[in-house]
Amino acid sequence: MKSILKKAMALMITLTMVFTLAACGNKDKKSDESSNGSKPVEITYATFMVGSHVSAAAEKEVLDEFNKKYEGKIKVKVEELPSDDAYVNKMKALAASGALPDVINGKNGLRELAVKNGQAVDLIPFLEADEEWNKYVGEGAINYSKTDDGKLYSIANQQQLVGYFYNKDMFEKTGITPAKTWDEFMSNNEKLKENGYTPLAMMTGENAWTTNLWLAAIIGTNGEEGNKYMNTNYPESYNNDLVVNALTMVQKCLKDYTTPDAIGAIYANSANNFLQENTAIIANGPWMVPDFTDTSKAKEGLADRVGVSLYPNDGIVTQYEIGYVLCTNDKSKEEQDAALEFLKFKTGKEAQKIFLEKSGALPLTANVELSDEYKKANPLVVDLIDLSTKAKYGFENMDNTAYSSVIEEFSLSYPELVYGGITPEEMATKLTEAADKHKEQ
Amino acid sequence: MTKNRKWIILFLTPGIILFIFVFLISIVLLVGTSFTSWSIGSSISFSGIKNYIYLFTKDKDFITSIFNTIIWIGLQSTVHIFIGVVLALILSRARWYTSIVRTIFFIPNIISSAALGLLFLCIMNPQFGMVNNIITKITGNQFAHNWFMNPDTAFFSVTMTWLPYAGLVTILVMAEMASISKEIYEAASIDGASNFQQNIYIVLPMMRNIIGTATILAATSMLQKLDIIIMTTGGGPGARTMNMPMYLYKTALVDNNYGLANAQGVILIVLGLITLISVRKIYRMDKER
Repeated sequence: MKSILKKAMALMITLTMVFTLAACGNKDKKSDESSNGSKPVEITYATFMVGSHVSAAAEKEVLDEFNKKYEGKIKVKVEELPSDDAYVNKMKALAASGALPDVINGKNGLRELAVKNGQAVDLIPFLEADEEWNKYVGEGAINYSKTDDGKLYSIANQQQLVGYFYNKDMFEKTGITPAKTWDEFMSNNEKLKENGYTPLAMMTGENAWTTNLWLAAIIGTNGEEGNKYMNTNYPESYNNDLVVNALTMVQKCLKDYTTPDAIGAIYANSANNFLQENTAIIANGPWMVPDFTDTSKAKEGLADRVGVSLYPNDGIVTQYEIGYVLCTNDKSKEEQDAALEFLKFKTGKEAQKIFLEKSGALPLTANVELSDEYKKANPLVVDLIDLSTKAKYGFENMDNTAYSSVIEEFSLSYPELVYGGITPEEMATKLTEAADKHKEQ
Repeated sequence: MTKNRKWIILFLTPGIILFIFVFLISIVLLVGTSFTSWSIGSSISFSGIKNYIYLFTKDKDFITSIFNTIIWIGLQSTVHIFIGVVLALILSRARWYTSIVRTIFFIPNIISSAALGLLFLCIMNPQFGMVNNIITKITGNQFAHNWFMNPDTAFFSVTMTWLPYAGLVTILVMAEMASISKEIYEAASIDGASNFQQNIYIVLPMMRNIIGTATILAATSMLQKLDIIIMTTGGGPGARTMNMPMYLYKTALVDNNYGLANAQGVILIVLGLITLISVRKIYRMDKER
């Protein structure tokens, strides 16, 4: 009897272990598969705008507003990822198995992957069927993302105008004004340095954001040829004088005109250096404006000491975000409709307004107006919009035009460029090889 | 015996099922797909040994990553083990500070690699880091060296985030040393052997297997090292601190080239097996004492 009991227990333990393992594989299966219509339709969405992200508050408010509006009808299951890198890597892994969430941000090549794996939906028919939505998205954003065959796989929720911010006090004490030419820009840097100020807040880690804005600006304002190059998506070669000359200038800036921690630093280091008045200039967009008044990040009264400018030669980064992709091609009609409603909300009037007010993101069209109250509270944003109307050159940033393998190569090669491991010509070749890697697939 | 066999089979079943579904199938898939062209959204197509030819003839960064990995395996199997064993020999003679030193020395082993990476980023920060501050104080001149990003010091700096911290080796060796009978030491002392001679001629030969085991653990840890490299240099500048796991991660998640990444995975496994066999041969671990 005792022996039988022992055997039975052993068998039970073994079976429990086996079934526990087997059950792990089914963990993600939806528990409400048998939804009979009375339960809200559940859709999935992933975001990196969480925690200390500059747009976290705006993102939360948009999600709260949507959940309130569609309570009992649609439920958004949000997956929060703590950084841009973590988000992109996770989405790439999900794209490989065709398991992207219903709505994603299509940045860094994710949109293209969603199109390749067949999950992305063409949005043109839905836009044509909804006049109100069409009005707030606007022709500019639609044309920006349209493919050659007239399809549209992503919709932006904001327009980007990126110039640079400068510390008016430091400029005044040095006796300089925002440079009109690149020669004057370099001469300003030298003067700031002579006066004991570190001119530029730069960083080469992550996507080398603040550094690559200067690189894009130098290329994009270098005549018609340079401007055309910086408006070309996914260039196949970086082996040209435009890029080499720009890299030579950026090399000089990284060597002589920035903080010692810039090489390998992340965006937060660079932003902190400007906000704490360790540097005189930072290239960045209007989403940084709320930080100038946030005393937990910036020095008291900094907002009054900051000015905004076009890049030398009257240039400005002007582009739409890649925006949001609807990945519901393989889903039920019910889920497709629910996800589309969410996409409409995320890129519509209310969300654009929330993002404008909470994180300084510019709306897609003039149909979302800047209130007088907003203009009064955010003079820098108003100045930037005014300046953009006077710009001679408009161009995109590197993040939008280059393959992700090229962006990765920037962060690996900049340190070598600065410390003499490679020349600007060699770095241009490395960037071209990185682009080749993408093409070979 | 027959009765025991039933029990053995019964208890081994979950382990075998786990091995087949988690490891064996994955390895077979890994090897199989390493002979294909496979990226996200594209259909998989057989490409023979194209991936392997590309890696060994065209991909300079991959070759660098192999060299770096081998150098780190070498350093970890020698310098790291040497530090751990010497400290174990020193601490084995009970003194008042033994447990304090042993505990402090083990701390880096209980901190997560990501936190350790962040810690070293702060210690070696060019602007406010402790290392540069100390050098500035000593020399009297402002010192702002970028340890992780300067190509001349990047490899050394990354290596220093793990090489000296041999707490695990020390603990393992000390545990084994506790099993040596006191009579052996007493007999050696009567014969006039000094502490040093006892360590060289008695203790170390008896520690052969545990040192071999510690070497395997230390060497193979270099085949998995990823998080601390991501946190500190990301494999740069250029490919100066790129190791095989980091390059594989980059190929899969940045370049989205899964066929090529899986070929790198196969080479990584082969390197792991070579390391394992070499260490066992060097320490003659398969032979009786």
